[in-house]
Amino acid sequence: MNVQIDTTVKRARAYWFVDGFTEIATGGLFVILAGALFITRNTSQTPFLSWFLSVTGEIIIVKIVSILAVILGLWWLKDHFTYPRTGFVRNRITGIQIFVILRNMILFLLLPIVSLFTASLFITSTGSVLASMPVWFPVGLGLIWAAFVVLAGEWMGLIRFRLLGGITLLTGIGVGIWQAAMGLPNVPAAVQPTILQPPLLESIDRTLIGLDLILVIFGVILMFSGVATFLRYRKENPQPYTDDV
Amino acid sequence: MSKSPQNFSGLDRVIHEPARLTLVALLSSVESADFLFLLKESGLTKGNLSVHLSRLEEAGYIQMEKTFRGKIQHTEYHLTPKGKSAFDQYRKSLGSIFNK
Repeated sequence: MNVQIDTTVKRARAYWFVDGFTEIATGGLFVILAGALFITRNTSQTPFLSWFLSVTGEIIIVKIVSILAVILGLWWLKDHFTYPRTGFVRNRITGIQIFVILRNMILFLLLPIVSLFTASLFITSTGSVLASMPVWFPVGLGLIWAAFVVLAGEWMGLIRFRLLGGITLLTGIGVGIWQAAMGLPNVPAAVQPTILQPPLLESIDRTLIGLDLILVIFGVILMFSGVATFLRYRKENPQPYTDDV
Repeated sequence: MSKSPQNFSGLDRVIHEPARLTLVALLSSVESADFLFLLKESGLTKGNLSVHLSRLEEAGYIQMEKTFRGKIQHTEYHLTPKGKSAFDQYRKSLGSIFNK
């Protein structure tokens, strides 16, 4: 009986994902962020510091605008489509809390890059660590995201999140292998001195490409999952609820 | 009487009824939910749902609130602190019955 209670509790927790809109919107957000990162890549010979500050500013603007758009879009869609069909739930997580969670997640993605770069300015050996980052960063990121997605899925009882987590992990590993296959070092040069260490800016650029790829692939997968969930939801609930149903 | 199977210690009879247990479990993980959500998720009929919600409200476990979403009147239910405590206690009691 307790198992059934847990299932019921999880069903209520997962209501935010019942219609697929959340996955579609979050996936779209990831794709937009990947696009913004790709467009702002330092392809010209702009000095690194001015490029970095400019990118940081632009990304923050893109983040704020797109997150607000996603929250407003979700609110409208659920209000007009989901709530009339299967009812309204006020979650304990408020809109502001969602904003904070999303912001922290995105900061979490960029923080390792910024931290390593800053550290490399003070510690000489960090440069060699940074050189292998294009290979290991996608693998680590894929692993962390996969763990996050699977744990969230378990908390809400959503089986499809296990599959999403698995695909995320494989994506991270795949991107890491792809970077290694392009000749980038997969161990720090200090550990294996014979390795030709690429320039710092190239390492950062390749790391951003890896991040970009993961964002795009994960975003697209989330959107696919959302569309499939939406189609199933619409099939099960074709019309808004009326007393006659 | 205390050893009677009819009187498992700590089992709250209000919550122990499966339909009401489902309703309390649903409300335990959200801030509040409306009648339609509870109807769809519990699988009860409207009449049955109303009766069980009234029973829980009488026990002080849930609270009904009439709100407006746009121009439409809306009835939301939320678990009271007493209801949350009763639900937590029920789960503990259920576990302890099997442990003894």
